[in-house]
Amino acid sequence: MSSSEELNLSVPGSQSSPSIRADWKAGVVVMSGESYPENSFELYDQLIQWIASYLSSAEHSLTLELHLNYLNTSSIRFMIDIFDSLQIAYENGREVLVQWMFDDRNPRSAELGSEFKEDYTFPFFILSINT
Amino acid sequence: MTISTTSLISLREFFSNHQILICFNGPISTNLIGEIGSALKEHIESHHAPELEVMDVFSVYIEMSQNIRNYATSHGFNDSESSATVVIAAAEAGHYAVCAGNLVEMADGQALLKRIHELADCDKTQLKLLYKQQLRQPLAQTPGQGAGLGLIEIARRSSQPMEASLDPLESGLAFFSLRAII
Repeated sequence: MSSSEELNLSVPGSQSSPSIRADWKAGVVVMSGESYPENSFELYDQLIQWIASYLSSAEHSLTLELHLNYLNTSSIRFMIDIFDSLQIAYENGREVLVQWMFDDRNPRSAELGSEFKEDYTFPFFILSINT
Repeated sequence: MTISTTSLISLREFFSNHQILICFNGPISTNLIGEIGSALKEHIESHHAPELEVMDVFSVYIEMSQNIRNYATSHGFNDSESSATVVIAAAEAGHYAVCAGNLVEMADGQALLKRIHELADCDKTQLKLLYKQQLRQPLAQTPGQGAGLGLIEIARRSSQPMEASLDPLESGLAFFSLRAII
């Protein structure tokens, strides 16, 4: 019965990369921190693969809870790949949800979330952590 | 030429006159980019700058220094060739200047200058459109093109058009300098 835990993904954060926790059983991915790693491919590829395999084998919904204060442009490129895969799943009838959490003191984070949201039709909420 | 105590004074005066907050000259590593970035954030925050400005200065600094690092890596540059000059200074009316310079192939430098002049003619709406288009482009392999998205990001965060120059060097390479005012 270890199967579901083994499918989880946990990447510790650092100064330049966000922490990532992906829980297969709950269908929840939580990312928090800032993202400007030297090798954004290395960081994001494992998450992109996890999401791809989750969306193709698990059957329940997927929620992304994002607490990202800052993303450099190469991280933004990879987030787009992630959101694109959510959009495809959504169009195929999967329940997907993004919760973009921002701090009022950092309006650029809210702006970034809105610019992502513009390109998709799945539920995408931009929420202040201060309310 | 060995540095003397008097040259230290003139260096200090130069820094003060130009209101330089943070300056770096040498081979730039990933760790260094992160450390300077954190120092920069703390430094500006301590001057009670609004978070918006702090994040914009930080973002421009990160894009510039990572562009330099990526360029040097993709060209297999050695330590001295991958040397970067990064300066963050206070500018007029509460603005900040972020400047960075590095060695480039002449042709790449010319392509960058051309790109920066094109971006200078764009307003914020056009920049956003370009940004969205560039995000959807496959990662370009051609030199100078990789910097595309970073340059648009810098232009979007800037309060006036970027300034750039290219100085040919004896080695055959050129020194490319870029300045953004945030």
